[in-house]
Amino acid sequence: MKQNEAIISWKIAGLALGLLLTLATFLVKPLGVSAQFVVTDAIAVHAVAPAAAENNAYLAKYGAKDGWSIGYGWMLVVGMFAGGFITSRLLRAKQPEADKGSMPPMWAAVFGDSRKKRFIAAFFGGVLLLFGARLAGGCTSGHMISGMSQLALSSFVFGVFTFGAAILAAHILYRKRG
Amino acid sequence: MNTLLIGFLIGGAFGAILYMGGATSYRRILGTLLLKDMWIIKLMCTAIGVGTLGIYLLDLGGLANLSIKPAYLGGVALGGVIFGIGWAVSGYCPGTCVVGAAEGKFDAIFTVVGGLVGALIFAFMFPTLEAWLIEPFNFGAVTIQELIGINAVYLAVPFSLLLLSMAFFILKDRYE
Repeated sequence: MKQNEAIISWKIAGLALGLLLTLATFLVKPLGVSAQFVVTDAIAVHAVAPAAAENNAYLAKYGAKDGWSIGYGWMLVVGMFAGGFITSRLLRAKQPEADKGSMPPMWAAVFGDSRKKRFIAAFFGGVLLLFGARLAGGCTSGHMISGMSQLALSSFVFGVFTFGAAILAAHILYRKRG
Repeated sequence: MNTLLIGFLIGGAFGAILYMGGATSYRRILGTLLLKDMWIIKLMCTAIGVGTLGIYLLDLGGLANLSIKPAYLGGVALGGVIFGIGWAVSGYCPGTCVVGAAEGKFDAIFTVVGGLVGALIFAFMFPTLEAWLIEPFNFGAVTIQELIGINAVYLAVPFSLLLLSMAFFILKDRYE
């Protein structure tokens, strides 16, 4: 059954993530990702049309914080990309076959192997993810992992509604295959 | 040390853990949401269980740089529902799509681009949404212990033990 595992077990990954969260909270602040999508948008809009970015209250709130440039949180996301890039190049041989590539076998078994269909779903899923995360004020890392670890009320509310909706949506998507 | 460099290094470890721990795996995410494969939820329970204890101890020593998010119930609940649907449809969350993109998964790259569009749509709708969903029913940046008025130790320790025992003893994979 080695094939069905991952490169490290959930125990090691969970322990490492909990310790990393503690270290980050000690050094700077808890982990968070979704706000950096806004920072990226703010920097991009500001580069093309500075007035449009400055007149948008939400873009200005995130963009002006670091002078319409990158800051700690943005570098954290760049680091995530680098960490994923390096480990995936080094350890690809150990990654289960089912987890490789751009077409998950589980998706293809139900929705067919059209790449276009999978990419459209991935794109609109991404639109909903970040719209929802920004409305709620955080995502899996900032709200669920960091927020619940700080026993924040809003993060428990987020966790309940997120898992509720995601479990329901997954069952609707895969209803035929149950 | 430079904060930008600290950010890069913490992010690097975060990305490596997510990749190696299988968090960018579509079958594991959907397996969890279909309540069959408990890998991801066990990973998250362990992380939150350890993180809760770690942050509690840091805070006890006055060393925690906390960041409690405000509890505006309407926006957090509706945002959670929209986020949850996006999670099930894409199979990624905002962090894992970045790592999946780094692995070279094209579907993850589409999720990142979709995310940039979704965040921009939110930015332009923010004034309306703020009036309807963020300003009303806002209880502020409150923790559970503040809400019910007890010492954090009585929550942090049992909550942490509950999550760790869920991960290690209670949650079981079910395949037919």
